[in-house]
Amino acid sequence: MQPPPREPILEFHDVTVAYGRRPVLWNIDLAIDEPCLFGIIGPNGAGKSTLLKAALGLVPLAGGTVRFFGQPFAEVRGRVGYVPQRETVDWDFPVSVSDVVLMGTYARLGWFRRPGPREREIARESLTRVGLVDVAGRQIGKLSGGQQQRVFLARALAQQADVYVLDEPMAGVDARSQDLIFGVLSELREAGRLVVVVHHDLRTAAQWFDRVALIDMRLVAAGPTAAVLTPQNLERTYAGRLDLLDELGRAVEERGRTS
Amino acid sequence: MTDPAGIEPLFAISHNTLVVACGVAAVGCGAGVIGCFGVLRKRALVGDAAAHATLVGVALAFLATGRRDLPVLLVGGFLSGLAALGVLVLLRVFTRTREDAATAIVLSVSFGLGITLVSGITARGIPGGAGLEQFLLGHTAALTTADAILLATVSAAAVLLLVLSLKEATLVAFDPSFAAATGWPVAVMDYFLVALVAVMVVVGLPAAGAVLVTALVVIPPVAARQWTDRVPTMLLLSGVFGLASAVFGVAVSAVVPRLATGPLVVLAAACIFAVSFVVAPERGWWARHLRKR
Repeated sequence: MQPPPREPILEFHDVTVAYGRRPVLWNIDLAIDEPCLFGIIGPNGAGKSTLLKAALGLVPLAGGTVRFFGQPFAEVRGRVGYVPQRETVDWDFPVSVSDVVLMGTYARLGWFRRPGPREREIARESLTRVGLVDVAGRQIGKLSGGQQQRVFLARALAQQADVYVLDEPMAGVDARSQDLIFGVLSELREAGRLVVVVHHDLRTAAQWFDRVALIDMRLVAAGPTAAVLTPQNLERTYAGRLDLLDELGRAVEERGRTS
Repeated sequence: MTDPAGIEPLFAISHNTLVVACGVAAVGCGAGVIGCFGVLRKRALVGDAAAHATLVGVALAFLATGRRDLPVLLVGGFLSGLAALGVLVLLRVFTRTREDAATAIVLSVSFGLGITLVSGITARGIPGGAGLEQFLLGHTAALTTADAILLATVSAAAVLLLVLSLKEATLVAFDPSFAAATGWPVAVMDYFLVALVAVMVVVGLPAAGAVLVTALVVIPPVAARQWTDRVPTMLLLSGVFGLASAVFGVAVSAVVPRLATGPLVVLAAACIFAVSFVVAPERGWWARHLRKR
């Protein structure tokens, strides 16, 4: 059998998603071929998080397909690390920081097997990378918002994946944690991983991501950050949202200054 | 007792009381452990709906067999409890009724049906039917040794199942979307945990009755949560609290005739909860008060 032509790492083909009868994403076509820091950008309610959840099989597709490495997600879930939005869980839950990070190793452990020394070592390494090894024994509710977000990132690192998918990892996070998270994501890219991030802040998006997709229920544009974040594209994505247009002015300006 | 030969029967009675107390203690312990996941998954009231629905199955099982045989009645109660949970799911899916409203509807309707059946049986004077009312508030004095052993065995099995799947249960209760994304069958685990709660609610019926048994799977876990920040410790403490409440209820109702066991068990659990709420380190009212100063 001929080896198939190189598959994109992540490919959305004609993806449509509806909640009940209300469509939230229309005909998304998007392929990511190379490891990079990839931002999914758009206004509130644009369907950014829904797109991620559709990729991970957490919301059903009304149409289209999503493939990782040319295969359905169910075949390759072990290669995909996931960082959900921080608000989706109860931080008062009686688990410690290292308990949560260990959850990243559960899929490989399988049913009924308990984490052993190997898993603990993975968890410790992951916590070291996000700078939280000192609070490993603490109950998760006693951390700051930024630290909690880093716990989730450490759990994804413990999955030891090839693709990382993050849903608003910078929302409500202090500057130090933002830098730390961005540092870890950059390391992942250097190590040849694809990192896909749902993000809403245009200014930082322009600084952080190699490539972006602009989304407002439909795909507006996708490609290298500088080529996509043009005033025309942003106008089409954020049409009528004037406060955000201000922000895009600043974003483009800053981009000009840093490059 | 003035009967000169009364010593031996008295001894026999106390032996049975002891076995029953042990059985009910095991039920209290199991309910405390299993209930933790109902509370952690924020489904505390779902168990209550199942509990109120058990009465229907108990009455129907009695009508079908014509005997007040505990295992048969409990199987009936378990099936109708599960049926109520099924209706709950259907209501949510097909009528888009919100979960709290659906729970309230299922709880009250099934309880109304159960009460109608039980009072109908009592009113028509069907032999043996009078005792069915004991399932309303719990009455452990009527339990036989065999009953108690059955209740204890089922409780132990439920706890064993939960402990075996503790890793999976914790993951699903804490972060269902991460669990689903990493390939765990979240819906199956949810049904499994709810079914375990239903089992404990059913074996808790003789001790606490349909109206109050839900307290056994809710109050000890909430009290235990006050003392610890770890799931395994919470399970352990909750089991101990449930056990202590059950023993108290059985003991007092054995000494004071005509006192129903269920309310006593619930009151004991409530006392443990109140104490935990005030004096627990860190999360307790007193500790928080001291921190504020």
